[in-house]
Amino acid sequence: MSAPRAARFGRAVWVILRKDLKVEARSKETLATLALFGAVLAFVFAFGFVGDPAVNLQVTPGALWAGLLFVGSLGVGRTFAREQEDDAFTALTLSPAPRAALLAAKALVNFGLTAGAMALLTPLLALLLHVDLTPHALPLAALLALGAAGFALVGTPLAVLAVGARLPEVLLPMVTFPLVTPVLICGVRGCAAQLGTSVDDDVWAWAQMLLAFDLAAGVGAFLLFDSMVSE
Amino acid sequence: MAAAGLFWAHWLAFVYVPMEGTMRAAQRIFYFHLPSAWLCYVGFLLCAGASLLYLLKQQSRHDALALAAAEVGLAFGVIVLTTGPLWARAAWGVWWRWEPRLTTMAVLFLIFACYWLIRSFGGDSAPVRKFGAALAVLGAPNIFFVHVAVTRWRGDHPNNIQLEPSMRVALYSTLLVFMVVFGLLVRLRYRVHLEERAAAALSRRLSRLGA
Repeated sequence: MSAPRAARFGRAVWVILRKDLKVEARSKETLATLALFGAVLAFVFAFGFVGDPAVNLQVTPGALWAGLLFVGSLGVGRTFAREQEDDAFTALTLSPAPRAALLAAKALVNFGLTAGAMALLTPLLALLLHVDLTPHALPLAALLALGAAGFALVGTPLAVLAVGARLPEVLLPMVTFPLVTPVLICGVRGCAAQLGTSVDDDVWAWAQMLLAFDLAAGVGAFLLFDSMVSE
Repeated sequence: MAAAGLFWAHWLAFVYVPMEGTMRAAQRIFYFHLPSAWLCYVGFLLCAGASLLYLLKQQSRHDALALAAAEVGLAFGVIVLTTGPLWARAAWGVWWRWEPRLTTMAVLFLIFACYWLIRSFGGDSAPVRKFGAALAVLGAPNIFFVHVAVTRWRGDHPNNIQLEPSMRVALYSTLLVFMVVFGLLVRLRYRVHLEERAAAALSRRLSRLGA
């Protein structure tokens, strides 16, 4: 990519990103929904799993990643539901912005929303399950960020296509789930390794696997995106 | 001929092969389980390949082939996922284990079940076809990650089993018969989808002429 093209690409990403962030900052619709949904989830986990401290620590990774799964699939659908109003999506695909810029901007928005919701949900879960996550804050944040990125990279292109195909909104989370299974396995096992609740204690290996998945999903999404979206 | 072959395969698996020492009768399930698993993988790979071709060339027949392959792959997947737990119950004492091959198969089955669901209930427009194709193309390599992840986690599926010659005869015969059935089914479904599309195109033309 030559320098002017790269600059144009960057500007297109920035314009779409800023538009979405502005809409979100004004309505706060998606983040509020996600945060509340996360809180409800946290209560359900607390009702279901709170036991003695060792048990609580053992269920924490599962609760965290189940939270990421639900919050993530909800958020991915939301970012495009907005584009369906007044057929804004068609306008976006017809604009001179490269398609890849649309994908990049939307993936960034999804990543930000999921990561933001998880930043609220994680302390809440720690509080309700009586576990002290502060010594593990950085590795856990890194694992969750890698997971949120994987989620955004798989979910965003599918959400774009689902909007184009006018698929019912319930189908999207269902389709995303089997595709992000590797993220969930690596995330849960990595967190368990970090918290010391599993035999395996090599957190870095799980993080590497997450990173590899993110890279592969990103490359796949960007390579195929142009041929996937139809006018 | 394929029907006769199926009878022959059943006879081989249930009568011809000797009783296996430790697993007794439960081992006989293997002659259906393994060929079905291979053909299920073949079906899904075929679907992913045809989907990629469809995304690149946008020709309806590639999409019809992808759909047919996914349908038949799913049918064989149902055989795998029913015979597997039956055997596991006898061999391991539990119906299911979170073991790499089982998990990979289950996730792969889920991905293509979603594909089939979307293709069945999403209507038959070009964007829906593309969504399905993208799902198949992104989903198939995904399996590699699932497998690596679960292998790190745990693993104990039987591998590289040594077989008696008569068992080998039974295995390869059932595999051959299943391959024929697989090919016939894919071809049948492929033709049905092509005919359906031709019929839909004709009725569109007719209604335009009438209007």
